[in-house]
Amino acid sequence: MEKWLRMYSTKLRTKGVTLFIILGIIILLLPLLLKSPYQMHLIIMLCINIVLGMSFAMLFSTGLITIGAAAFWAIGAYASAVLVMNLNLSFWLALPLASIITGMIAFMLGSIIVRAPGVAFVVQTMVINMIVVQALGQMEFLGGWGGILDIPRPNPIVSIKFVSKTHYYYLILFLLLLTVVVFYALYSSRIGRAWRSIRLNPRLAQTLGINLFRYRLLAFIIASMSAGLVGSFYAHYFGTIEPNTFSVFKSIYIQIYGILGGLNFYLMGPTIGSLMMTLVPEFLRVGKEIEPILTGGILILLVIFLPGGILSLPERMGSLATAFLSRIKRKESLH
Amino acid sequence: MTLDLFTQLLVNGLATGMVYVLIASGLILVLGVARIFNFAHGEFYMLGAYTTFGLCQVLKVNFFISIISATLVVALFAAICYRLVFHHIRGNLLLCAAASMGLSMMFERGALIGFGTQERGLPSAFFGVMTIGNVAMPVEKMAVILLCVAIMLGLYYLLMKTKLGKAMRAVKLDTEVAALQGINTMRVYALAMAVGCSLAGLAGGIIAPLFSITPGMGHAMLLKCFMVLIVGGLESMLGGVVGGLVIGMTLSFGYYFLGGLSEILLFGIIGVILVFKPGGLFGEMVEDV
Repeated sequence: MEKWLRMYSTKLRTKGVTLFIILGIIILLLPLLLKSPYQMHLIIMLCINIVLGMSFAMLFSTGLITIGAAAFWAIGAYASAVLVMNLNLSFWLALPLASIITGMIAFMLGSIIVRAPGVAFVVQTMVINMIVVQALGQMEFLGGWGGILDIPRPNPIVSIKFVSKTHYYYLILFLLLLTVVVFYALYSSRIGRAWRSIRLNPRLAQTLGINLFRYRLLAFIIASMSAGLVGSFYAHYFGTIEPNTFSVFKSIYIQIYGILGGLNFYLMGPTIGSLMMTLVPEFLRVGKEIEPILTGGILILLVIFLPGGILSLPERMGSLATAFLSRIKRKESLH
Repeated sequence: MTLDLFTQLLVNGLATGMVYVLIASGLILVLGVARIFNFAHGEFYMLGAYTTFGLCQVLKVNFFISIISATLVVALFAAICYRLVFHHIRGNLLLCAAASMGLSMMFERGALIGFGTQERGLPSAFFGVMTIGNVAMPVEKMAVILLCVAIMLGLYYLLMKTKLGKAMRAVKLDTEVAALQGINTMRVYALAMAVGCSLAGLAGGIIAPLFSITPGMGHAMLLKCFMVLIVGGLESMLGGVVGGLVIGMTLSFGYYFLGGLSEILLFGIIGVILVFKPGGLFGEMVEDV
């Protein structure tokens, strides 16, 4: 029995590795498969959404729920646009700098708001998002409510000139991979374990010598930095940015990505969630008019019937199957 | 600054502030008793305004009767929403918040499709200007203030003097112990949701003659109410009252003296309060997610 089990598990593992490799090849060769620029645009936006969803999940892993992820996305985008257009920096310098600036702003804001967890944090991040949108709209030198237009493309490196969507796709793929690797390293390190223990029981974590404030602040800064990084990419990819793109609605959507995929899966959850949210309305071909109704309906149904998210489906099926089997067995024993 | 101008600004601030107080106290009631952070609260406010408009303007019912029936309609609607959605996930704050966001999206878009984007308005039920001494005040605003104060006193009576209010306070303190004392917690949850949301509906009806009615009005109002909650704290009704008045006054006086910058002033005040009291003026820091 044990031998069989071991054999089965190695078989499964090789199967998993094969699947992983095939998936990787498909993702790498996606520009060859998709011909229309619109589909490429969807995929690029999907990658941005995945990173934003992951930043939400990182804060959730410390027990904080944010509705302000879009604010840091906005800060990254505006910082990068200003650095490139007003200070004439190269895009490749502005990309990390925008991320660092976002991190610094997150440090200042975070040291004020991270102290109040729970519902207060939800409301405060939401209000920060509103403040950022309002402030960006009021500032005339940032273009006001019209936003910044004609943001230059990334400077060419070697022979890559960033003219087609394919080039942008490989760039965002690299950023996504970078985020995944950094986040995975953090989650599997001492810091990630501390975060998880804070989420499970803050008081107990505190008695074990974990400084709640510092660890939560760290998560807040890193999550914001990743949002700022894709914000910088978004500004130069899309060419124009305006304050209303980064409204609270976007933050709520980002939160839905996390909940939809499954909040216990910090990396896979947002991926599956944003995949669903981006591609399902596209496949259903519903009008933009009734899309929020559909999204809201899906969200409510999912929250009621599958509270663990889509990724908890196998587990839930398993538990349902066990319950069903035990019921059959009980019936049999009664006869 | 003349006395006349000061009184005008004061009355304006009080009128908008008291409306914020009404909506925010409903939000606090739902959050405290039913443990639902209700993102759809603004949509109930919008629904109240539209129901009042429909009864008053289309069916030509008396303004007060239409406000009262709009409140009842919203209360019934909220109870149905509670039974269909929140009942299954009660106690889980995050899931309830997510579900209410879904409801909010559905309602707002539903209203947009159903009622159209055009702005609607009601003729005022009160006319004229009241003069006390040599200070002129619009009767309409005074009526809003008085109505809101009366409703808040009624809410105080409901929570402090009646058996239902006692049950609500008990459930807010500790659900399980309250259930042990023989309180039907499920019913209290549903009633708290109905009462809290009907307050929003009532505010929508009262505000209908003052502002224009649009499908997006609920969203804008909800964001203002979140600021009220930050200023006042999430736990107590007193916090809601103080927060609502602070925000109303800041906006009223700020618009006169600073114009468009008054929003920034508001954010500054909120920032200062957050630095010194992270849980709001009347709130405590709570460690629960």
